Amino acid sequence: MAQKKLSIRIDGQLISAEEGQTILQAAKANGKYIPTLCALDGLTPVGACRVCLVEVSGVDRLFPACTTPIQDGMSVTTNSPRLTRYRRISVELLLIERNHVCAVCVSNGHCELQSMATAFGINTVEFAYNYPKLSLDTSHPRFVLDHNRCILCTRCVRVCAELEGAHVWDLTSRGIHARIVSEMNEKWGQATSCTSCGKCVQACPTGALAEKGWAVEEMVKNLGTVTTLVHRRGVEV
Amino acid sequence: MPRIQDIGAFNTVREAGLAKLTPAVPRLTVGMGTCGRGNGAEGIYHAFSEGIERSGTDIVLAPVGCFGACFQEPLVSVRLPGKPLVILRKVQANDAGRILEDVVAGNLSPDLIYCKIEAWDHLTGHVRYGEGYPEVPAWNEVPFFKSQKKIVLRNCGIINPDDIEEYIAIGGYQALYKVLIDGRPETVIEQVKAAKLRGRGGAGYLTGNKWEFLAKAKAEPKYIICNADEGDPGAYMNRNEIESDPHSLIEGMIIGAYVMGAAEGIVYVRAEYPLAVHRLNRAIEQAREYGMLGENILGRGFKFDIALVEGAGAFVCGEETALIASLEGEAGRPRPRPPFPAQKGLWGKPTNINNVETWYNIAPIVMRGAAWFTETGSPKSSGTKVFSLVGKVKNTGLVEMPLGTSLKTFIYDIGEGATAGRQVKAVQTGGPSGGCIPHDMFDTPVDYENLAQLGSIMGSGGMVVMDEDNCMVDVARYFIEFTHSESCGKCIPCRVGLNKCLRILNRVTEGAGTTHHLELLDELSRYIRDCSLCGLGQTAPNPVLTTLRHFRNEFEDHILARRCTAGVCEELALSPCENSCPLHMNIPRFLQLYKEGRLEDAFLSVILDNPLPSSTGRVCQHPCDGRCRRQTLDQSVNMREVHRFIADSIFQSDKYEAMVQAVLARKLEPTGRKIAVVGAGPAGLTAAFYLALLGHDVTVYDSQSEAGGMLRFALPEYRLPKSILRREIELIERMGVRFTLNTRVGTDVPLNDLDDRFDSIFLSIGTWKESWVYQPGTELKGVYPALNFLEAVAAGQDVSIGRRVAIIGGGNAAIDSARTALRKGAEAIVFYRRERKDMPAIEEETNAAKEEGARFVFLAAPHRVMGDAKGCVRAIEIVKTRLGAYDASGRKKPISTDEIQRFDCDSVIFAVGETVDLDFARASGLSLKENGTIEVNRFTLETSRPKFYAGGDLVTGASNVSGAMGYGKQAARNIDRHLMEAERWARLFPDVEYGQTLPEEPSPSRRHTGQELAAAVRVLSQDEVVTGLSHEAAQDEACRCLRCDVKAVNVS
Repeated sequence: MAQKKLSIRIDGQLISAEEGQTILQAAKANGKYIPTLCALDGLTPVGACRVCLVEVSGVDRLFPACTTPIQDGMSVTTNSPRLTRYRRISVELLLIERNHVCAVCVSNGHCELQSMATAFGINTVEFAYNYPKLSLDTSHPRFVLDHNRCILCTRCVRVCAELEGAHVWDLTSRGIHARIVSEMNEKWGQATSCTSCGKCVQACPTGALAEKGWAVEEMVKNLGTVTTLVHRRGVEV
Repeated sequence: MPRIQDIGAFNTVREAGLAKLTPAVPRLTVGMGTCGRGNGAEGIYHAFSEGIERSGTDIVLAPVGCFGACFQEPLVSVRLPGKPLVILRKVQANDAGRILEDVVAGNLSPDLIYCKIEAWDHLTGHVRYGEGYPEVPAWNEVPFFKSQKKIVLRNCGIINPDDIEEYIAIGGYQALYKVLIDGRPETVIEQVKAAKLRGRGGAGYLTGNKWEFLAKAKAEPKYIICNADEGDPGAYMNRNEIESDPHSLIEGMIIGAYVMGAAEGIVYVRAEYPLAVHRLNRAIEQAREYGMLGENILGRGFKFDIALVEGAGAFVCGEETALIASLEGEAGRPRPRPPFPAQKGLWGKPTNINNVETWYNIAPIVMRGAAWFTETGSPKSSGTKVFSLVGKVKNTGLVEMPLGTSLKTFIYDIGEGATAGRQVKAVQTGGPSGGCIPHDMFDTPVDYENLAQLGSIMGSGGMVVMDEDNCMVDVARYFIEFTHSESCGKCIPCRVGLNKCLRILNRVTEGAGTTHHLELLDELSRYIRDCSLCGLGQTAPNPVLTTLRHFRNEFEDHILARRCTAGVCEELALSPCENSCPLHMNIPRFLQLYKEGRLEDAFLSVILDNPLPSSTGRVCQHPCDGRCRRQTLDQSVNMREVHRFIADSIFQSDKYEAMVQAVLARKLEPTGRKIAVVGAGPAGLTAAFYLALLGHDVTVYDSQSEAGGMLRFALPEYRLPKSILRREIELIERMGVRFTLNTRVGTDVPLNDLDDRFDSIFLSIGTWKESWVYQPGTELKGVYPALNFLEAVAAGQDVSIGRRVAIIGGGNAAIDSARTALRKGAEAIVFYRRERKDMPAIEEETNAAKEEGARFVFLAAPHRVMGDAKGCVRAIEIVKTRLGAYDASGRKKPISTDEIQRFDCDSVIFAVGETVDLDFARASGLSLKENGTIEVNRFTLETSRPKFYAGGDLVTGASNVSGAMGYGKQAARNIDRHLMEAERWARLFPDVEYGQTLPEEPSPSRRHTGQELAAAVRVLSQDEVVTGLSHEAAQDEACRCLRCDVKAVNVS
């Protein structure tokens, strides 16, 4: 069944999009860039990172592009001084929340958080660092989980539950104490449901999940493997 | 019990219920909500049931819920056949026997009576109890209930929540029956829409619209949910509603289910409410048994049932999408909307969620109609809202008021204002998602829009009243700490943003804040508000944003002055007494030193903190008394009398010279800077003392012939002997301060002249002008402004006042005038336009005046003074006043009545307040505030003119001695810092070692006060009335200190 076409404006440009699409999907389909961190093609959007917030004319509130469905006649602004300021704060807060030390990170140079910070021109942060004491889980034979680098985007959780069907990962605790855990807070190496497929590692935007055996800057994620899988399985992107 | 299937059976049950509610024998009920139980209601219930069993009398005993007056718990109600229902308050278990005896005898125990109910409108039905007891006030005549309107709480505290028959008796389930018989769901939705009922959970979305969405949704099955996850600190209306009247909730939900087409309902209630869970479970069972739930409800073929789910206590689960996630067995984390629950809710099916209180409004709307409902409330928000009024008010409890009622009504009429001696500062509405509204905005009507405009929200109805003991920075910090720990952690703004907010607020309360922190807080708060995923994050910064907006000065105090005026932030104060002292005397230190027998060290500690210790020891308003933690044990430590004793012991002995040398030894090297102090009152003297100690060359100017200002010329000899003051001023002179007396700055010496000759000038001329009320007759001979009168007497002039003196006013000047008049052999009558408790005078002084024979006439304002042919005063006419609405000072405003009374008198003294001499202020060329006081930077005391500083009454308007001295001290420190470009203050104070151990387990002890001369004796002379403590008493008093300043405790 052919989708109904809707007309919307993104940054003033008239765009024809399909009913049921989110603002992010419509923008992407028309070559418009909206920054994202937690969104990943093929996974259920959760609206957690808030860097994809956009303005909609006539409404004072901000809307996450990844979860907001388009409406006919909607006029979306993807960039404004306010949005830039807020996105910058979001990224800064992620940088101070845990211990992101690029110089010693396997993902240095291939990190979505790092490249977003670079794109926003963040070379210093306004807020004091939290410097929490966090652990590493190296119990898995092939992979490693480093909480210091995790931004809680839950891409690993969703890719494992929705594509692999294993649901090894989930979130535990609340607020600032929230952590990614495997199974019921088992060591990853002891998680019997893990198939060691590595999708979570590929989906992870930072160096929080990485393959063992790589040195600084050497861990290059291949997001394509995840999205290709989605296409192959016929999941709507 | 067979299920009710027709109207006949329904009416039979109804009759049976009525017979329980108004039996032919006495009925006793005990308020057994959580609040009542917490106050011992269970013990009372047992005492009653044992007593009834033992005596074998025929009395019906039943538990009920809570009637709302939490401050009067435990509540018991007694109803004798044919008589009104009488509510007894603060009943204890040992009252049970007496109450039972009274009931049997057909009497009431008058001391326990709170109010009576002759008839009660349950909205769905009406109960008449009977008439009688004319001496007992009706329930809506007592202040707490006077303006309340009970719609939601219509049955609470009256019927037995565990008995469905009593609920049916008062018209319960009738609305349901009506809806089922009518069989037209759409008309009910229209009715709810027309009633403009708005969701009572906080967001205020129109309930009728929400219902329509679900009714129109296509997918099956549909769910309806009652959100009873009440988690705001200080809010407990939902708990009480369910505990007191669970069937109203069930009925509302069944009606909702019917009109929206849902077959299953869920109540999501906090597990922390065990009694509510228990009663609701019982009510659901009874409803099933009687045919209100399950198949074929009331024989009308409708099927519906309710399940109860206990929430694990996560605050965020009050957010509807998180609540649904929690119901589905997942962690309570919100999901993005859209899709809204009405599209995709529980298990992906259309779902409606309403707050407990919303459901309670349904049956009355169905029974009485939308038009009736919109009669109450404001145009946009109809109906009532239940608030839990808690915090620093006299009357606390659940208050149901029409929407649109002003905050003033809540706080002053229902709550009856702050507790004794305190002033309400702000009210916090909406719990952690709400904001703080300052006192001067209490005229705001409480509804969704108005509160939102002030940056707060109505929320679920928490209303926490705060007084000057609450630090607003700490309040903001507290709420952020709460929301921070309740954040689910999903989105960045709420998870990391609130954490950062909390860290910054912690820094500020620890005294490590910077002004940049305020900018960061503001920006971060806006970011969290605008960017968060769910309601928790979007509203969490409200406490910060509103306190920043309305109480910015408190933040600045913490950051710039490192002070927490409320004395809450521990790191910023040595002890509560030190914090409250305008001079910030290290009180625990001198008490300890004296306790250790080190009189000289104690004196040095006192004199370096307070250069007029003997005088202030006599006349200070002693704010320290009100803060002393010893009060919680017995009475506060009499700190003022101890430092008076220490000072007197030195000043009146041969140790004086040695101590002068000891103080001189603290003097810093001469700086060569010249400073002028204008005004030799307490502020000026204090500034001069410290500036001299700091090594500056100080000259004090005063228009009078002697230094001392108000201390010398306004305070009568019997309160402060002049010899004492002279001795203190002598010490200041010995520090090298020069006095130029009989010189009026502004006329004798122009300000510009001072500017040329001095490096810095401190202005502290005080308030020497009586704010004169021009009334007919004030021109007559024998009419005096209080200050002129006191000044003339103090200067030794002969003022003729005749035999009878009328004094107008209620402050210290009025009392001083009255007592001075008494000492001149006259009769004194004080007229005050408010009540005794509103008098600003020091309480002890008022008492002393009364003992000495002064008469007081309250609620009386001057009307006119009448004279004789010679132009002398002959009488005064006063107009009686009555008290009206509360004014900005938190006291009731006196309003003149028509009643005029005449008192014969020979003179009239007006003591109605003093103001700054405007001529001087204007001539000074400094920028002024509206009331004529000089505008200064409140941290540095700099005026608009370079080199000129000002402090004391000149800046604040008339205040008191220690307040003025505090300004003098602050000025000295700032002038020195500015002139010397260095912080040299700490160099004045020696390091003293003194005991740092806590007193042993303190046992209750009596507070020692100074000896007073007998009233009959003292009134005959100018001798000092209070003679001070003895050595032993001072020692005992010093030992009573609990040492709040000792922070680190060694536990061995």
